[in-house]
Amino acid sequence: MSETYVFNRRDFLKLAGIGAAGAISGCGHRPAEKLIPYLIAPEDILPGVPYWYASTCRECPAGCGILVKAREGRAIKIEGNPEHPVNRGGLCARGQAGLQGLYDPDRVAAPMARENGAWRKLTWDEALKRAGERIGDASRNRKGVALLTGHETGAFEKLCGAWAAGAGGARLAYEPFAPVALREANRRTFGQAAVPYLDFAGTHFLISFGADFLETWGSPVGYMRAFSEMRARKDGGTFVAVEPRLSLTGANADEWVAIRPGGEMALALGMAGVILTEGLGPALSDRGTLADAVTAFTPEEVERGTDVPADTVRRLARRFAAAHPSLAVAGGIAAQSEQAVALHAAVNLLNYVAGNIGRSVRFDRTLNYDTVAPVSELQNLAGQMARGAIDVLVVHGANPVYSLPAWAGFSAAMDHVPFKISLSPVLDETAERCDLILPSTHPLETLGDAQPERGVYSIIQPAMQRLPVFDARPAGDTLIALASAAGFGSAFAEGWNEYVKTEWKALHQRFGAGRDFETFWNETLAKGGVWEEVSAPSVTWQSAPAFAAPELRGAGDLALVLYPSPVHYDGRGANKPWLQELPDPTTKAVWGSWVEIHPETAAKLGVRRGDAVKVETEAGSVELPAYLYGGLRKDTIAVPLGQGHTAYGRFAQGRGVNALALLPPAQDAASGTLAYLVAKATVRPTGHAGTLVLAQREKEQADRAVARIIPISALTGGPREPHGGARAPGEHPAEGEKPFAELPSQHRLGHDTEPRLKPPGEKTPAHALTAFVPEDTVRGPRAIPIRQGSYANAKHRWALAIDTDSCTGCSACVVACSAENNVPVVGPELVKRGREMTWIRIERFEERLEPGRSDVRFVPMMCQHCGDAPCEIVCPVYATYHNPEGLNVQVYNRCVGTRYCSNNCPYKVRAFNFFDYSAPEKETFAFPEPLNWQLNPDVTVRSKGVMEKCTMCVQRILEGKGNAKDEQREVRDGEIQPACAQSCPTQAIVFGDLADPESKVSRLSRDERGYWVLDELNTKPGVTYLKKIQREIT
Amino acid sequence: MKRALVLASLVLIVLAAGTAAFTQSFSVQLGLNRGPTQPINFSHKIHAGQLGMNCLYCHYGAEKSPIANLPPVSTCMGCHKIAAADKPEIQKLSGYFQRGEQVPWVEVYWLPDHVKFNHKRHVRAGIECQSCHGPVQEMAAVYQYPSLKMGWCVSCHRQKLDDPVHPATMDCVVCHH
Repeated sequence: MSETYVFNRRDFLKLAGIGAAGAISGCGHRPAEKLIPYLIAPEDILPGVPYWYASTCRECPAGCGILVKAREGRAIKIEGNPEHPVNRGGLCARGQAGLQGLYDPDRVAAPMARENGAWRKLTWDEALKRAGERIGDASRNRKGVALLTGHETGAFEKLCGAWAAGAGGARLAYEPFAPVALREANRRTFGQAAVPYLDFAGTHFLISFGADFLETWGSPVGYMRAFSEMRARKDGGTFVAVEPRLSLTGANADEWVAIRPGGEMALALGMAGVILTEGLGPALSDRGTLADAVTAFTPEEVERGTDVPADTVRRLARRFAAAHPSLAVAGGIAAQSEQAVALHAAVNLLNYVAGNIGRSVRFDRTLNYDTVAPVSELQNLAGQMARGAIDVLVVHGANPVYSLPAWAGFSAAMDHVPFKISLSPVLDETAERCDLILPSTHPLETLGDAQPERGVYSIIQPAMQRLPVFDARPAGDTLIALASAAGFGSAFAEGWNEYVKTEWKALHQRFGAGRDFETFWNETLAKGGVWEEVSAPSVTWQSAPAFAAPELRGAGDLALVLYPSPVHYDGRGANKPWLQELPDPTTKAVWGSWVEIHPETAAKLGVRRGDAVKVETEAGSVELPAYLYGGLRKDTIAVPLGQGHTAYGRFAQGRGVNALALLPPAQDAASGTLAYLVAKATVRPTGHAGTLVLAQREKEQADRAVARIIPISALTGGPREPHGGARAPGEHPAEGEKPFAELPSQHRLGHDTEPRLKPPGEKTPAHALTAFVPEDTVRGPRAIPIRQGSYANAKHRWALAIDTDSCTGCSACVVACSAENNVPVVGPELVKRGREMTWIRIERFEERLEPGRSDVRFVPMMCQHCGDAPCEIVCPVYATYHNPEGLNVQVYNRCVGTRYCSNNCPYKVRAFNFFDYSAPEKETFAFPEPLNWQLNPDVTVRSKGVMEKCTMCVQRILEGKGNAKDEQREVRDGEIQPACAQSCPTQAIVFGDLADPESKVSRLSRDERGYWVLDELNTKPGVTYLKKIQREIT
Repeated sequence: MKRALVLASLVLIVLAAGTAAFTQSFSVQLGLNRGPTQPINFSHKIHAGQLGMNCLYCHYGAEKSPIANLPPVSTCMGCHKIAAADKPEIQKLSGYFQRGEQVPWVEVYWLPDHVKFNHKRHVRAGIECQSCHGPVQEMAAVYQYPSLKMGWCVSCHRQKLDDPVHPATMDCVVCHH
């Protein structure tokens, strides 16, 4: 047999393939990298050791204190400053995502000028010269210069004022949702043009007229903390939400009064009327005049105008007057109508007649909105611009082209300004229309200060050197340089840093207490600012404005509620991928916008969830996907604001629509604020599907009892019932029955969780690899006796306790987790396929959505670190196992990606890397430069094909244990906090050691409200949930 | 028949080569008792051996931080402003310092991202630098002494499992997180 053998094509390819595979894997040697030491080591800085810088959050006007964690000179995490009086440790999702503003890959890299329609890079000298000449020209020739900024306080505010005065121009601060109407109402009713301090914590009965104080209104993180304190009090307060759309804030209420949009004022006056006519509340000298003012608002009249039954008006009024103190608060979109001041005045009146002024409503620590201008002034400016009276416009920190409806005329008027300068760090809609961009640094790389509340002087300090990839300068420096170039710079200090320090010299006089300025300054930088007690001026009722309810306009039959997105606020969060992928707390939708329609209304219109519908008002129309939401009145639809950017970077652009197009021209005449609650709309189905990406599709828990409640009457104050409360509420454990605390897996270290022991006398099945191993050995390739080593020496049993009664659903923990653990953002297409990577999610369950008592429950869901984990037994390569300290661990380098663990996880808390999110050369790369600079070096960046999940922030546990070892002591309770627990504004998440019976987590786990999710599966979770308390409505 | 033999042997050869290459790719090169060429011919033998300098004088981060730092150039210059300032290698060093350039040392020890080693914990548990890095005081040019394979780490950890003062751990997550 001498046939010649010829390779055919197929054989060749096969062999070539094998050879190539070998060759590729053989070339895996990593080239040696260079190690670059410091030339001169900075004092006190060690590579590998994090440093913390106290600063102030600039993501919204609230001005929370923050601590920025920096490693090797890069800011990698933002946390709330526990010592700061505004937020006391918590921080919301938007604040934490500030990092992604710093590392935004779409930041402007250098000064740019628009030439023939295209951007051309300039040097700073060139750009400043060019701008300075124009400004100098305009100010010398008495032509108009205008400086438009966002909400600013402190030194920068002062600089802006002085700068505009120097240039002989106008200065305006605009902030879309600033409570300007409240300021105006307080001026009229109390003679105090201020936004008062609201004492949520001490309140016994809280009623909110549309104020979304747990989301965007006022100082949400501080309010959230105080709200949870109110709830946690023994005589905890009741909360009634009066709003046509059940917001996230409303979802936390005990009672939902689904009022007709615009009816809030009538209800407040009706309640005040009842209190006055029935002689409730404190004795007031001006009772008679006040009663006259509200005579028209009898409960029956209120019912006709608001759909709130007269009995409810009386009940609420009596309850309100009986509680000492109670608190009524108006805000949100309800207070952004054409009668905004009237509503605030009505609520002021209600607070006044119930005796709350000076108690729960105080003018001591007022929020600082002193310089914010209403939209009417912006319109005046636009008018001047359109007339050609403004030669140079300088914009910083405001984006009016996006955040104002077209009819306000600002966008159109920009065309008539010959020279427009933007100091924006990103090309937002307004910057895009400018002629010159002088990019500002991010607050995290800038010195400054803020006075968010009266008596609070907060520091903004750089946590790192300016990012070298962006040639940006602090806005203060730019303004000073512009002034010098324009010839009026002599009024200012040399540079911005000196300017700030000079301002602080005055505070040094007050707070210095004998220390020299440098000592005082360094101490202030370390602490985050200085604060003092302030006294409240006593106020009396002065006069009430005319009370009139707003009329909604237009031909439609549905009232349109436009609300600021709790995630993107007025739209400034939209360029941050963490926020884009953060499910909206109400709908759980991501990466877009939508219109909320009541299911019955939708059925009448023939609209199903996800259908594209056309929403039309007299001002315009937009196309949006429909989301059917029972927490709405049937005659109301709601659309979130904040999306629909046409510029502002790759993450913001082209997501959803900007619903401001629906607003007809309207404002509150008394305060000049923009009216958002003004239009009626029609909804028409378009016949095609819209893009609605929901991270949680179903809001029903069927009979799974994931989120549980307990009536307040059933609380006994005793220990937890065994078996997760299968017994009827209130029933006591039978004699001899083990109380909960002795359930094995929660307190016996290692023993019951690892290894999985073979029952005596049982033969090992021949095929068994993992499930049964001989007694006294752990699962593993080498035998180590179980009573030796780590398992025997374990001192801790880490666990979480999550109080679902405190959880407001705000989702701050989700962003905190992503920031701490390098969790990639995957984009809408993958979220749609259920491939989101977040390690923690807030599950929302809508048990009942109806006026009166609605029942919405939030469950933060992360890996439950089960004592008897279904994932562990199915992993063929031991990549997931139970560690001696009770953690369910995922070892990335062992994982081969079978995904069996995820299949077997009843909680769906494991996330699989379907794509390479960490490889810069891949399309799916989740951290485009310099976003990857934020990555936490203590946590592995996972690669494709690897399963990942919550680790209870094991890197923080190790750090905490290490610190304790260094100081030769035991770990203190509360010393270690995972990112979620740290960020939680209400401290609903508690981490600790179950092996210590006195630890907070032990006490909470034994609480009578404690239960385990899906405990019927006997997974013995390490996460104990505390039932939500269902309070009485009286 | 011949066709089958040729194919089989070819497949075997290719597989063997592939396997060898693959295993090489994730193991660390062994037995090269010679370090990479460094920009400055720095000798640990002179500094740590003959002069008997404490390791922590330069690598002061090793007991305070997870990362044992390289000394900043200013630390070198602390002595070498005067000491041996005429030697060509020292002149290279002062050249870097005067130009304000960092010295681009070539990395000798490297761990992948999924391994988190903490120098501080080991140093504070009384583990001598030489236990892992070998007789550095005798190395003219530092080379990678241990294999840095996981088995090498674990062999030591296993011995010290029940150490009364500083028990080592066998918990995967301590390094892999």
